Amino acid sequence: MTKRGQRQDDAAELGGTSRARGPGRLLVAVYGVFALAATARAAFQIATKFGEAPLAYLLSAVAALVYIVATVSLARPGARAYRVSVVAVTTELVGVVAVGLLSVFDAEAFPHETVWSAFGRGYGFVPLVLPILGLVWLRRTRPGRTVA
Amino acid sequence: MDPFLLIGSLVCALAALLCIGAAVLRQPPNDITILSVAAVELFLLAYTVGAVIRQVTGEPVLGEAWEFWGYLLTALLVPVGAFWWAILEKTRWSNLVLAAAGLTVFVMLFRMEQIWDGVAGL
Repeated sequence: MTKRGQRQDDAAELGGTSRARGPGRLLVAVYGVFALAATARAAFQIATKFGEAPLAYLLSAVAALVYIVATVSLARPGARAYRVSVVAVTTELVGVVAVGLLSVFDAEAFPHETVWSAFGRGYGFVPLVLPILGLVWLRRTRPGRTVA
Repeated sequence: MDPFLLIGSLVCALAALLCIGAAVLRQPPNDITILSVAAVELFLLAYTVGAVIRQVTGEPVLGEAWEFWGYLLTALLVPVGAFWWAILEKTRWSNLVLAAAGLTVFVMLFRMEQIWDGVAGL
């Protein structure tokens, strides 16, 4: 058995799931940070200035929810959690691209900042890169795939 | 530049560099990387004490006070959470989780400084 294979077995014994293992641990951690940041931001916006831009701030809340669902489903084992995470990460990718395009080409409709504005520029474009890495990781850890 | 922000940035950057370096060298979390994250937490505790002192000695938060303290309380939990998540599986990737904690605290520190000075809200 290779050293890497041994390490993965060790991780499985410790209760590590296939998706929250190796690079997946970092992925879940970064998703967790974004879930926290987006939730706090949406809560702040809705609590203090919802009337200014209801659509943008509702969008913030949706983004926060997507990050929470993605974090939890990526960290949990099982085929059901896998399907949930595919939906969540895909929604995230569609959201960041759609909101990014709209905020760039129709700035008047989206004058208020959200996590996904301008493809997540305010967050170092991590929101744009994250779902792509997420989908790659989900593809590599899909159920039924024989471990190389 | 505020000395707190300067020292905090240095501590966070050093911790992140050490953790990334250990990950590049394929090391699982070790004393050095775990202590570097502990240093970040220690700094945040000192920052909290400093912030309380500034607040009560006539140099209060200029922005939203509850937003500042919300950030600080959350930041205090970040190294703890990262440590817990990283030691559950000791691979080199866990060092990158620890590095992410340092970078996250750095960004939050920067935001806290902006809120303290009353520059731009969320």
